[in-house]
Amino acid sequence: MSAAVTLRPEAKKKAAMSRASKDSVIDVQHLVKVYGGRGQEEIKAVNDVSFSVGEGEFFGFLGPNGAGKTTVIRIITTLLAKTSGSVHVAGLDVERDGLDIRRMIGYTGQSIGVDGELTGRENLWLIGRLYHMPKSLVDERVEELLEVLQLKDAADRRAYTYSGGMRRRLDLGAGLVHHPRVLFLDEPTTGLDPQTRAAVWEYLRRLHREEKMTIFLTTQYMEEADQLCQRIAIIDLGKIVAEGSPAELKAAIGADIITVRITRDEAFEQSRNRALEIARTVSGVSRASIFDEGVSAYTADGGATLLEVLRRLDAEKVPVHQVALAHPTLDEVFLQHTGRQMRVEEVKPMSRSFGRRRR
Amino acid sequence: MVTDVGHAQRVIIGTRDEESSGGVLTEVGLVTWRSLVKLTRTPVLLFFSLFMPLIWLVMFSQTFGTVFSSATSGGLPGGPAATPLPYDYVAVLLPGITVMTAIQSASQSGFGMVADLESGFMDKFFVAPIRRSSVLAGKLLADGLRMAAQAGIILGIAAILTLFGWRIPFATGVMGAVLIMLLAAAFGVAFSGLSNTVALRTKNTESTMMVSFSLTFPLLFLSTAMLPKALLPSWVQSFSTVNPVSYMADAARALILTGFDWTAIGNAFLAILAFGIVLNGLAIMAFRAQGK
Repeated sequence: MSAAVTLRPEAKKKAAMSRASKDSVIDVQHLVKVYGGRGQEEIKAVNDVSFSVGEGEFFGFLGPNGAGKTTVIRIITTLLAKTSGSVHVAGLDVERDGLDIRRMIGYTGQSIGVDGELTGRENLWLIGRLYHMPKSLVDERVEELLEVLQLKDAADRRAYTYSGGMRRRLDLGAGLVHHPRVLFLDEPTTGLDPQTRAAVWEYLRRLHREEKMTIFLTTQYMEEADQLCQRIAIIDLGKIVAEGSPAELKAAIGADIITVRITRDEAFEQSRNRALEIARTVSGVSRASIFDEGVSAYTADGGATLLEVLRRLDAEKVPVHQVALAHPTLDEVFLQHTGRQMRVEEVKPMSRSFGRRRR
Repeated sequence: MVTDVGHAQRVIIGTRDEESSGGVLTEVGLVTWRSLVKLTRTPVLLFFSLFMPLIWLVMFSQTFGTVFSSATSGGLPGGPAATPLPYDYVAVLLPGITVMTAIQSASQSGFGMVADLESGFMDKFFVAPIRRSSVLAGKLLADGLRMAAQAGIILGIAAILTLFGWRIPFATGVMGAVLIMLLAAAFGVAFSGLSNTVALRTKNTESTMMVSFSLTFPLLFLSTAMLPKALLPSWVQSFSTVNPVSYMADAARALILTGFDWTAIGNAFLAILAFGIVLNGLAIMAFRAQGK
């Protein structure tokens, strides 16, 4: 079958180029997107973002609403024009080779773009045909997807009768009909119930594992990024603030976090300051800081250090109200890099139409 | 789901040659197919899009029929003074109603656009390896087919009415009727450009509805669609000469009352072409600007 590859000379050149550009499937350099202008207030939604994603990698963009995730994913998928910077997919330029890029990528947007008047089967069939797949191949592929996505029983029902989870699965299927080399998912589980979310995760893992698909996902859920992605970029206010594997990002904070809450009495301020001093002198504590209820200390070995901290606090008669030991999560990573707690805002179904314009 | 990914890649790349020739037609055809399927699945909408024009046809012709016949008892003003006209007002109004139906459908053309933009379905088209122009062309083709069918149904019902003594000459028979359907479709597609432009620029159904609806009635009544030119007040007469609706109505009216008036038909197509290019040009620009 490999002999049947018919590439035009131009495409051959491009393929060679893509190999030349160091195995990265997605390559984004100094990307900037400015909305507005021409009399309106200018908003820099994406501010000098650079990253690359390797072949077969599961890569996640993690950030709160308005961080610029959707803008980046829409630029890479050729749905939105960039202001400056360079964006390549498989060595192809998003501006020059949009059509060739679209041929090899799949995209599932934030708003569920299925046609409610068409049946599930028709939705998938239409998309497959739009990718110029031969009819027989489309038929085969549609059946296969309906099976995998567990939509077989509902295949001939119009999509508006589907539940939210079914619509999400159908939408996901629409991005997969043509066996994309790179799959782009913009907040694929926002608004889903926990069971459906778990099912989508499982399916994405399978796609990545069994089909070796490169997957680029945006999410505002720490857990989702942690569970699925091999590498994460944390994006906030249009800038990437941290990048690495979930484990690396967590390790960079220090392995464990000791939280000491101080008893609220008239000497609270004093006690807290004393506790901070103590925590800083305990060996094994890499960093300590105060927060509104007490002190938190970062350490490589939580168990041993905790004991020592408690012993010292007791010796100094600091009134301890509560102690906790936690392994860092991506929440802490986000907090550390942005100085803010990440708040998840659920996108209400009503505002879906405006979601596409979100930055 | 153990599928050879490389295999599929090859298949897709292998169909590139098809895209340059039959590919565009496939793209347009698929978009048209989708629009028509949607249309047939909302029969209520289809019914009511014809219901209003038919009510107009029956009520207007009844209400104004007597006024019209007394005004024209000595023939049309300026025309050969003679005997009363050999047809009823309904025959004069019929072409106007076909234009009205086409305009009405055209003003709804943008609704689907807004709906697709809002639902995110438009992204599916935009992210597929097809030309953007195919999406617009497919949609307009579906609109045109719908408008032709609507005109056909109205003409058919009018033909049935002649069995009950309504005097509609149908001077050019079935051929003329087909020509009217064609005119109505072309006119409607041309006019769709306005609705689609507003839809794409505002992304708002209400605005789209307001702009289109507020133009529909002035355009209809300041034209020869409701009455022959000779019966219109002089200022309306002057406006009607720059109103494309008049050219469409005149050509269709000639086909029903007198015969193949090729000058009128030619003028109608020219007028349709002229404002069709302007309005749809704006729509294409608005469509291209999506995501810019």
